[in-house]
Order: sequence, then C-alpha cells, then structure tokens
Amino acid sequence: MATERLANRLNQLRGERALTQAALAEMVGVSRKTINTVENGVFVPSTLLALKLARALDCRVEDIFSVED
Amino acid sequence: MSQGSNVEEADRLSRRRARMLPVLAIIFITQQAAYFSDRFEGAGAAVRAVDHVKIGAWVILSVVLLLALTTGGFWFKSREVRALLDDEVTRAHRAAALQLGFIVTMIAAFAIYLLIQFEPMSARDSIHLLVTIGIATALVRFGMLERRAHLGD
Repeated sequence: MATERLANRLNQLRGERALTQAALAEMVGVSRKTINTVENGVFVPSTLLALKLARALDCRVEDIFSVED
Repeated sequence: MSQGSNVEEADRLSRRRARMLPVLAIIFITQQAAYFSDRFEGAGAAVRAVDHVKIGAWVILSVVLLLALTTGGFWFKSREVRALLDDEVTRAHRAAALQLGFIVTMIAAFAIYLLIQFEPMSARDSIHLLVTIGIATALVRFGMLERRAHLGD
C-alpha cells in the first residue's frame, strides 16, 4: 500500500514573506481555513490551488510541495 | 467590502457554522424523538391536526437543513463571502459528510427492512426515520470536519 504523503513548506515560505494566513488567503482567493489545513497537511490542495499558491508566493509549485515517503 | 474583510467575515461565519451544525443536528434529532414518542403512544389512533403541523414542520426543517448542507448556506451574504465559505476545503468536507450520510442511511434502511418483519412500521415513519438519520449524520460529520479544520490556528 502506498504510504506517500504530500509534504509542504507553505508555513516557512509564508513566514519568509511576512504574510499572515489571512493575507495569503486573500491573495489566493480562499478562506484562511484552507491555508491552515494545507499548511498542517490535513488537506491536499487541487492543482489549481497549488498553482495559485505558487504564484502568490512567487515560487514554483515544487518549492512548496514535495512527495514524502 | 474589501477582499481582506471578506476573508475575515468568511472566517468568522465558518467558525460559527462549525459550532452550529452539531447543535442543529441535536435539535433536529430531539424533535424527531418527540414525534416518534407521540406516534408510539398513540399507535392506532387517528391522525390529529397537530400531527399534520408536526409533519409539515419536519418537512420544512429537513428541506432547509438539506439545502444548507448541499449549498453551504449563508444565502443572504455577498457572492464573494459565499464563495469563500464554499471553497475547496469546505466542498471536500461537504462531500465527505454527504457520503457518510448516504452510507448510514443505507445501513438504517437495511436495518428497518429487517426489523419491520417483527415490528410493523408505516412508510411515512420509515421515510421520516431515514431522512432524519441521513441529515443528522451529515450535519454532525460536516461540523466535525469544519471544527477540525479551524484547529491549530
């Protein structure tokens, strides 16, 4: 059975840009709850949201997300 | 209203919804318990006018709760706020809640199907029970998932 999980550096990248969860949510057009659940690894975002997050943080999707075994 | 304040308002309303959904489920179930206790006490008796009112009230409440579950509710808020209240995570939570509601309803339907061999139950009561179980389960699950999503802020 596959045990991979989606790891992310969203919290770190957001912190480096001095953005609050609410500010990032506003930039991406989602609720703060969504940012929170993605950061905590509770929710796996869609490709669309991942691309929007990358654009808002001015980085690549791979810089935010990675597959963790 | 700016997008920033929309995010704040959506956050506040989302927390309120997460708190309210399990409470609504309890109120909903409690009302049905009263309905069924009256039904069993008066088994065999003619349907009274008050029963029609109760059934009508139950239908209205069920439809409102079902609409709130499937659309996200907050119908009188702005389109922007409603979009934030119905974003990706919320839609995923709703789908999971409705899925569980469906599964529990099916299990309850099979249980009723077996039980009516020993204890007859009218079609109306069976439907009443199934709809109540399905909606209440989905409400509780949706509320739990939403509350969990707000943890760890």
